[in-house]
Amino acid sequence: MTGYLLRRVLQAAAVLLAITAAAFGLFYAAPSDPALIACGPKCDTAQVEAVRAGMGLDQPIASQFFDYLGGLVTGRTIADVDGSPIRCAAPCLGYSYTLHQPVLDAIADRLPVTISLAGGALTVILLLGVGAGLVAALRRGTAADRLLSGFNLLGASVQIYFLGYVLQYFLVYSTGLLPLPQFVPLADHPGRWAAGLLLPWLVLGFVNAAVFARLTRSQMLETMHDGYVRTARAKGLGTLRTHLKYTARGAAAPLVQLLGLEIGALFGGAFITETVFGLGGVGKLAVDAVTGNDLPTVVGTVLLAAFFVVVFVTVADLVVAWLDPRVRLT
Amino acid sequence: MAAPSPAESPELRPAAEAPGARHRGPLAAALRAFRRDRTGMVSLGVVCLFALLALAAPLLAALYGKNATEHYGQDTPGLLSPEGLPVLPNGGMSGEHWFGVEPGLGRDVLAQLLYGMRTSLLIALASVAVIAVIGVVVGITVGYLSGAVDRAFTFVCNVLLAFPTLLLLLALSPVIQTRFVGPRENEPAWMQFTVLIMVFSAFGWVPLAMVLRTAVRSLREREFVEAARAVGASRRHIVFRELLPNVWAPMLVHITLAVPGIVTAEAALSFLGVGINEPIPDWGRMISRGSEVFYDDPTYMVFPGVAILVFVLSFNLLGDAVRDALDPRTLR
Repeated sequence: MTGYLLRRVLQAAAVLLAITAAAFGLFYAAPSDPALIACGPKCDTAQVEAVRAGMGLDQPIASQFFDYLGGLVTGRTIADVDGSPIRCAAPCLGYSYTLHQPVLDAIADRLPVTISLAGGALTVILLLGVGAGLVAALRRGTAADRLLSGFNLLGASVQIYFLGYVLQYFLVYSTGLLPLPQFVPLADHPGRWAAGLLLPWLVLGFVNAAVFARLTRSQMLETMHDGYVRTARAKGLGTLRTHLKYTARGAAAPLVQLLGLEIGALFGGAFITETVFGLGGVGKLAVDAVTGNDLPTVVGTVLLAAFFVVVFVTVADLVVAWLDPRVRLT
Repeated sequence: MAAPSPAESPELRPAAEAPGARHRGPLAAALRAFRRDRTGMVSLGVVCLFALLALAAPLLAALYGKNATEHYGQDTPGLLSPEGLPVLPNGGMSGEHWFGVEPGLGRDVLAQLLYGMRTSLLIALASVAVIAVIGVVVGITVGYLSGAVDRAFTFVCNVLLAFPTLLLLLALSPVIQTRFVGPRENEPAWMQFTVLIMVFSAFGWVPLAMVLRTAVRSLREREFVEAARAVGASRRHIVFRELLPNVWAPMLVHITLAVPGIVTAEAALSFLGVGINEPIPDWGRMISRGSEVFYDDPTYMVFPGVAILVFVLSFNLLGDAVRDALDPRTLR
């Protein structure tokens, strides 16, 4: 297991490095002049040149990239538009000339919103998706199974940007059953935090739960007929106990793997959900950065999201290896 | 295999196993299985209807007497209130404008829906075509070659899969646009389409290539490939003539399910404001506009929302039916 763990973590580090290079290359190598955009339309030539030097854009791309990597590890000092030095602490994701603050600070301000949203939605996904999949597998062929698969199909087909508005219209606007979605920090008021995010959680969770329900169902059905499950039944274990203790563990590996991969989709969904419900999270920051040509923030958010995805995929792989020893050999 | 449950009546089993049925190969068996799948046939019908509507949009619009770009609401008094909201109830639905008029600009909703379908379908089908070519070539080649190529492929896939897709799509389309269009220029319509197709293709081939790689890795150990190798067939022959015909089933399933994914991703991009620009009709942008006036005129958003829902739903059902028809082992 130690060897596998080490190899997997090294792989993750290599992937992260490649992602950093790709994201950096894609955006800074873009022909639109970041210095001109950062400076704004009112800048004269000298100011643009100062910003260019401050951003390091007059350096060759390779050295810019190493500066960026160095900033990630040790932090660095970046010159603002007016030439004043800004200390950007490690891990420095660059400096946003649009927001006039280090990208990491801008993200950190908004991260609680996105984490709360994604975390709550993940809980909904697991409860709803895995729960529905388990019930459907154990009650295979019954009305409950068909009803659940209908719900899955709906969840897989409906879009956040439609369902979100429709539910908001009926549950908030017409009937007032739920409060208007908003973000209240968890530390300030846990009750209002949950109440304000309930609808976004349900929408984001429902839309993403379908894949899990489906996979849970098919994995359970497949594993149910494995030899070891039959052995467990044969030695006299009850149906439910066998399935929860033996089948579920055998069926869990692909689910954990899917969970790791779904984090990326969950982030994407969280961005749309934030836009639908007007929550000011990292997604809103990223969308604004893209429309406002704020390249450092775009690269920063892409990297941060990729970092989360890589970490989750790696952790998921390690959990799978722990669940299923055969994986460690490959 | 488990004993069939009571729900699985004999006529649901693949027709090829029925006594007296002539064996006409896997394709015919799959077709027969598909024809027996009522949900699959209905969803295929809906998908075909969508495609037909999109193809015939100019004709239908001519018959209906409206186009997607004219601002009827602003030109004809009595359709929109001074605030830009439809005067008639339900979003201004009337005999003249069946699905109502757009708040603000006053365009005809039905005409916009029809033309918006063209936008969605064109982007999705073109992207899927590119994805299929790249995915098949890369997946089969890598699966057959293995070794260093395989390790490099796995690494590239890991990198591409780790990128948060939507965020990257979001970030990438303006970048590609600026590469080809000057900052002050107005980008031509075909450019927006090309950019989106490029962006979707750049990431869409990865899952398909991974699926095919796995399929080929198990196929290449089979006797028929060994036999081909033994009689001295070239690598190219083995890859394209021996392996390719055997992986079309997973390919077809994957491609059917990729279309709704691209349609919704495109709509999401347009919803977020970085997809297709005015004045090209687009479902995602209609939803975005609808969200601005949702409480005053909810009808406007219902049409594109339901259109996307029905479209994606029928494609998902079609994909399931294709999978079931091609793979009789699928547990239902």
